[in-house]
Amino acid sequence: MKGVLLSGGTGSRLRPITHTGPKQLVPVANKPVLEYAIEDFKDAGITEIGVVLGHKGRDEIQALLGDGSKYGVDITYIVQGNPLGLAHAAGCAREFVGTDDFVMYLGDNILKSGVADLVNSFESGEYGAGIALQEVDNPAAFGIADVDEHGTVTELIEKPDEPPTNLALIGMYVFSPAVFDAIDDLEPSWRGELEITDAIQHLLQDGYEIDSHVVTGWWKDTGKPEDILEANRLVLEDKQLTAAGIIESGAETDGRIELAQSSVIEDGAVVRGPVSIAENTTIKSGTYVGPYTSIGADSTLDGVHIENSVVIGESTITASGRIVDSLLGRGADIESADNLLPEGRRLVVGENSQLKL
Amino acid sequence: MRIITLTCSACGTIVAANELEDNRVMKCPGLKCDNVLRFSDLPEKDRTYFLENQERYEI
Repeated sequence: MKGVLLSGGTGSRLRPITHTGPKQLVPVANKPVLEYAIEDFKDAGITEIGVVLGHKGRDEIQALLGDGSKYGVDITYIVQGNPLGLAHAAGCAREFVGTDDFVMYLGDNILKSGVADLVNSFESGEYGAGIALQEVDNPAAFGIADVDEHGTVTELIEKPDEPPTNLALIGMYVFSPAVFDAIDDLEPSWRGELEITDAIQHLLQDGYEIDSHVVTGWWKDTGKPEDILEANRLVLEDKQLTAAGIIESGAETDGRIELAQSSVIEDGAVVRGPVSIAENTTIKSGTYVGPYTSIGADSTLDGVHIENSVVIGESTITASGRIVDSLLGRGADIESADNLLPEGRRLVVGENSQLKL
Repeated sequence: MRIITLTCSACGTIVAANELEDNRVMKCPGLKCDNVLRFSDLPEKDRTYFLENQERYEI
C-alpha cells in the first residue's frame, strides 16, 4: 500500500495567509497541517508516499518534508502543474504507484481517526476502491454515497436534490490500480477537471465493488480561517500537551499547556489551557493567553488578552486589548496605539485581509 | 484522458506533461536538483497525443 498526498491548490480562501505560502503549511497546534497526514500514513503502515505539488508552494513543501526520512517515510514528489482535478492528480501518480493499492489523502484535511481503519476495511475484501464517508446534517451540499447493508457503495451523487443518505464523501480514498484505466477513460467535467467521483462511478460501472468506511471522529477541511481555528481547537482538545519550558513562580497557569523548552511564561502572566506555545516565545507579565490558542515560535506577547486564536509565529503583540477568534500570519505585529495622537487605529493591511474592529 | 508524465532521471521527481509543455525546457522542480527536463524527452507518441489534445490539459 502506498500513499498519495495532494498538496496543490491556490489556498484562495485562506488569503492573505496564503499569499506567502501554501495552505498545507499553515500550522494547527503549531504543526503544519501536512505533517498530520504524513503521520496518519505512517500510523497506517504506509511509508512510501507520493506528494503531489501544484503551482504554489512547491519549494516550501519540499523544504519542510525533504525526502521524508525525518518522519521515517520515503517521499517522491509529483508535479501536477495545472489544477486539472483530483483524478488528474491521481493519474499523475500512476508511475509512482505502479501495481500497488494506494490511499489518496487531501493534504489540507485533518482526521481524528487517521486512515488505518479505512485501509483495513478496504483490505478486508476485493474492492476496486474504498471511500471515507461521514454523516452530515445538510447532505444536499455534498457529494453523497448510497450504500447497501454491507457498506458497499451502490451510487455516488453530487449535491443531490433528494439525498438517499446523509453520508458525504470527505476526500479520503483507497484505490486499486484499476482506477488508472478508469481515469484514462474520463472526460473533463463542465468545470474542466477530471473528477475523482467520475472515476469511482466508472469503477462501479465496470463491475468493481466500492467499499465505504464511515468516519465517526471529527474531520476538518482547513481551507478557511475559521476552519483553521476549529481544527486548532479540536487538535488541542485531543493532543497530549507537555510544558517543558519555564513557568516563573508568579505566573498563573491552569489546564493543559504545551510549552517549548526554550519558551517562558513570565511572572504575572496568566495562561489557561489547552494552549500550545512554540519555541523561543515569551509570554510577558500582564498577558492573558486563553483556551484554544496556539502561539508560534519566536513571538513575544506583552499585555494582550488573546484566546481561541492562532498566531503563526515571529510576532510581537503588545496591544492592551482583547484578541479573539483570530488567525495572525507570520511576522504580524500588533502594537498599542495608546498615547498616540490623533487617537485611532493604525493599520497596514495586506490584500484580502479581514478585520473586525 | 491519458495522463502523461516524465520522471527526472537525477532525483526521481515526476512531472506532468502539461507542466513540461508549458515550459518546453525547465530546471527539474525537485528541490536542489539541477537536471534539465524537456518536453522533447517524452516519447514521440506521448508528445503527439498531448499536442493533439492540448486544450484538455489546460484549465
